This record gives sequence, C-alpha cells and structure tokens, in this order.
Amino acid sequence: MAKTIIDAHNVSKTFNPKTVPVHAVQNVHLHIEEGEFIALVGPSGSGKSTLLNMMGGLDEPTAGTVFIDGVEITKLSENKLIDFRLHNIGFVFQSFNLIPVLTAKENVGFVLQLQHMSKKEREKRVLNLLKEVGLEDKINSKPGELSGGQQQRVAVARALASKPKIILADEPTANLDSKAAANLLDIMAKLNKEEKITFLFSTHDQRVIKKARRVITLVDGKIDSDVEQSPT
Amino acid sequence: MLFQIAWRNIWRNASRSLVVISSIIIGIWAGIFILSFSWGLYKNNINESVYRQLSHIQIHHPTFGYEKDSKFTIQNTDAILKQFQSDGRIASVSARVIATGMITSPTTASGVNIYGIHPPSEITQIALNQSIKKGTYFESGKDNAILIGEKLAKKLKIKLKSKVVLTFTNVNTDIVSAAFRVGGIYRSKNSSLDEVNVYVPQNHLRELLELKPSESNEIAILIKDELQLEAIKNDCKTLVSNAKIEDWKELSPELSLIIESFNLYTYIISGLILLALTFGIINTMLMSVLERIRELGMLMAIGLNKRKIFIMIMLETMYLTVLGCPIGLLFGWLTVSVLGKIGINISMFSEGLASYGFSSMIYPELDQEKYIIIVTMCLVTAILSAIYPAYKALQLNPSEAIRKI
Ligand SMILES: Nc1ncnc2c1ncn2[C@@H]1O[C@H](COP(=O)(O)OP(=O)(O)OP(=O)(O)O)[C@@H](O)[C@H]1O
Ligand SMILES: [Mg+2]
Repeated sequence: MAKTIIDAHNVSKTFNPKTVPVHAVQNVHLHIEEGEFIALVGPSGSGKSTLLNMMGGLDEPTAGTVFIDGVEITKLSENKLIDFRLHNIGFVFQSFNLIPVLTAKENVGFVLQLQHMSKKEREKRVLNLLKEVGLEDKINSKPGELSGGQQQRVAVARALASKPKIILADEPTANLDSKAAANLLDIMAKLNKEEKITFLFSTHDQRVIKKARRVITLVDGKIDSDVEQSPT
Repeated sequence: MLFQIAWRNIWRNASRSLVVISSIIIGIWAGIFILSFSWGLYKNNINESVYRQLSHIQIHHPTFGYEKDSKFTIQNTDAILKQFQSDGRIASVSARVIATGMITSPTTASGVNIYGIHPPSEITQIALNQSIKKGTYFESGKDNAILIGEKLAKKLKIKLKSKVVLTFTNVNTDIVSAAFRVGGIYRSKNSSLDEVNVYVPQNHLRELLELKPSESNEIAILIKDELQLEAIKNDCKTLVSNAKIEDWKELSPELSLIIESFNLYTYIISGLILLALTFGIINTMLMSVLERIRELGMLMAIGLNKRKIFIMIMLETMYLTVLGCPIGLLFGWLTVSVLGKIGINISMFSEGLASYGFSSMIYPELDQEKYIIIVTMCLVTAILSAIYPAYKALQLNPSEAIRKI
C-alpha cells in the first residue's frame, strides 16, 4: 500500500464568521497517497483555492485537522509551519511565483539555499531541475525575460527543488495559452510518472483535467465527486 | 543570499531609490553645512572677542571685579610686563589703567569705561589702531587725546577735535574732572562696546587717578598656542601674587555657554534633518513593501520565515541610508574644507551682525566630535527607519497576500 501524503479530516473554512459568514469549504475529507496526480475542479468560488491553501498550511481551517506525511500541520506554530512548507510542500501559483530580481537558476536555488544545501550540490541539482522542465538554455534569465509558460516551468522546478512530499498548484495554467498549458502539464505528468512526485492542482481547463488520474470536484465547498480516470 | 536579493530589490525601482539616497545626501550635506557655518560664525565671534577685546588671559586684583574700581591694582606691572615679554609662548602683553565715569559733551553725557592705555601695546594686543575711522591713533602724542567710539560720538553729538570732559573718582575717592580732545573716532566690530569704551593715554589717567607709577588695573595676555593656555595661567600665578587670573572663557561666560550649547545645537539640527529623512525613507519603503505584498506572500509560502523577511526589508532600507550617509558626509566634509579655506563673505548681512560682534568673513568649520555625532545619528536613523517597514511586512498573512494574485 502506498504511503499517505495528505490526510484531511472534516476540514471546514468559514470566512468572516462574525459578520457575513462565507462557508468556503465545508466538512471535507481528503486522502491523498504518494504518486497521485489529482485535479481539483469546480466552479468559480467553489472553494478550490481555499482548500489548497489549507492543505499547504497557508491558511488555517476553522475546523478539522490536516496531516501531511503524518504531521498534524494544523497544530504547528506559524514559524514552524513556514519551515514545514520549506521542506515538505512545493507551491506553484497562478502568477507571481518567482523572485523578480533573481535569475531562473537563482530562483530554483533559493529554496535549496534556505535548506542550507552546499553550493556545489545546489548547482548540480538546479541544472538538473531546469533541464527537466526544458529550460537549460534559460538558466540566467530573470523572470521578466521569460514567457508566462517558461516562468511557470521555472516555478515547477523551484517547487520540486526542495524534494517536497507534494506539489500544490493553484490554477498553474490559468495564465497560459493552450500550447504552453499542455506543455506544462506534460512536464508535470512526466515528473509524476518518472519521479513519483505527488501533484494536486486546481484548474478550470478541460484539457488539463483530462491529464489527471483522479478528479475531485468541489461544489459550494463540498466534495461533489471524487473519481479515478485514465488520462488522455 | 538575502543581502543579494535586498540589494537587487532596491534597484528594481532605481529612480525611487535614487531619490531617497539623494535626499539623504542633501540632508546630511545641508546639516553639515548649517552646523559648520554656525560654528564658523561662533568662532568668528570668539576670535573677535579674544583678539579685539578680551585677550586670552587677563590678570586683575582679586576684588577689582565688575565695578572696575580703580583702587584695586596690581603693583610693579612694568617688571611683570618685562617678564612676560621675554616668554616665547606669549604673543603680546599689555597693562591698563581703568576707571569708570561720565563723559560729558556740550549737549549731553554718558557713562563710560575709561581705559588708560599704552598706545603701542594695544596695537598688538587688540589691534585698536585698525579700528580708527576718523582722526589718528594717538599720533598727536598729546596727554589729553581721547579715542572714542563712533556710536558714542553720535550719541554725544561731537566730532573730531571736540572737547569732552571725563568725570570719575580717584583712588582717594575724590571726584576728578579732566578735559580731553577727541583725537580719533573708532569703530570696532562690537558696536555695543563702542558706546562705552573710551581710550586715553595711560600715564595721564594714572596721574589723574593718583595711582603710583607702576600700578595698573589690568594685564592682558595674548598667547601663541591655545593649547598652552593652562600652563601659562599657572605660570601667571607664581609671577603675579595675589591676583585673579582668568582666561577668556571665564571672562566671558557667554562665550563658553555658546560653545557648550553648540553640542546641543548639533544634536537638534542633525536630529531634525534626520527625523525628516526618516519619515521620507519609511514612506518610500512602506510603499515598496505594499507593492510587493504578493511577492512577500509567495516568499513566505515557499519557506522564507518571518525573521528572514524582516532582515531582507531591513537590509533594503539600510542599504539606502548606508549609501546616502557616507556620500552626504563626504560632500559635507569637502564643502567645509573648501569654504573653511576661502571663507564666505556675508557682508550683505554684516551690518546687523557686526553689532553682535561678527565680522563679515565666515570660515565654516566643524570638529571631529561633531562629525562623530552626525555619523552616530545617521546610524540610528538607518536602523530606526528600517525597523518599521520591516515590521509592517511581518504583519502580512501569506494566504491573503497570495489571494491578491
Ligand atoms: N479572504 C476571504 N474573505 C472572505 N471570503 C473569501 C475569502 N477568500 C475566499 N472567500 C470566499 O470563499 C469562497 C471560495 O473561494 P475560493 O477562492 O476558494 O474559490 P475558488 O474555487 O478558488 O474560485 P476560483 O475558481 O474563482 O479561483 C468564495 O465564495 C470566496 O468569495
Ligand atoms: Mg481559486
């Protein structure tokens, strides 16, 4: 049996509980195992981002518990949580993923540096990662000099760098044209297949959804369906 | 790494950073200029007082004091003067006989301090001859010549060669009146003194006061090197027994107060300038933090802890100050060095200033101690202005920041 990466129990999130309560996520149970490749879908406002943020320890659930690799992150202090994210979770956001003043190489190396990896090891790993996302010729470009798709690929490489348990991606392809989106998804799928990296990503894009092996649909903050599929 | 990111961050909006850096440069430069200029003014005033009026050291009878009672004298001043004149450390020395009394013109009268001087001595002592505006500096050689200030002449409505009468009490408490003829009219840089100080030949006054030939009320000494002041004062004590020996700071408490208060002044001026700069810096840095909320949120999401975020923002602010301060200091120092040599002519305003004892050339000057104060205050500013924006950045909640994407 595969290792459990995420185990979320009865997770709810209510915004503005005192004034105009918004029940963004309600009583969600989520179980994710190592090596899964999951799309989180649902209409706008259904709570996808909120759920992802809670799984990644960026947001605190109003109720419920989240375990990541056996650690109850809902109990960690703020600084411990930041440290936990550094070592265990990779993030890819819709945009503003990269540090604008650093080159692609430096951006990917940054998290490794935060993990105190030696310079030599770092160089090697960064080059490998950028090669995997097909950007070996852009290592010294700053984010501003890269296309949106290239920036997202650097972000994936950066998310991978720290060898996280899981990569959480909130609409990583939302700002990309369909070709770049497909390319990014192919890279993610390849990493998932070859390196057993676990991915949980939210998306609106039908073509992206098709690449997933499991699709979780959220409606009004609740899981509406959770199905396995064979990717195309 | 944080150092590098912070450094590159400040150049993301280069023009904004340059504005901050230039304002720091200009602020510090202006502060140094204001301080050095004021100190130049003060120094001018002090020199004016020392070289035109007080001299470095004055010796009196212990009870001569404020009332300038002529009967309290120092004996054998001729011998004492000779001793001082042979001392290589002393630039000039002179003895004076002093009385207070009334000067009367045909129309009016006024209270005066009457100085009985040895004219050649006062040339080196207080350069009195240089202040002559009309007439001559005791060239007539006449006993009844009197030198009065322009202001007093105006008050008494008298001209050169006019006759005036001096009235005062002699050492035997008899009232003495003597007629003098105005031989010269002077104008010094200190017009308030011009109204009360009059000069007459020493021997004549001494006779009128019925003092003994070698008796004087005051010995004034100019020294060559101010650093030897204390040593020379000590030597004076052994040379002149039973006398009060005072240096210029003791003679003019206002001057020493000015010097003391200048430190405070330095703190206030540089403090005000740096306070203004602090607000400018904080404002700019807050703007830059707010602009980067999402980026900071992303950094927190990927694992940059709050301490590191704090350090990064602190560094950014401190780079700005640390770049600006030394340049400002350098410009300030250069300006002071150059203007300190060539001087600034303030004759445009000197009419008014002269009455406070200022001359019209100002040589800006600032000693090391003041620079140290300024540097310290710069560092304090650098740190203070860095803390608030960095603290503000810490208030960010990463998920909220990211939601703004
Ligand atoms: N900070 C907040 N304060 C109040 N309500 C919020 C906040 N963040 C999200 N919400 C609300 O929570 C609900 C879920 O939002 P969420 O962003 O998770 O939806 P989503 O599925 O990601 O939508 P989209 O597809 O548009 O990104 C929405 O109704 C939203 O308005
Ligand atoms: Mg969303």
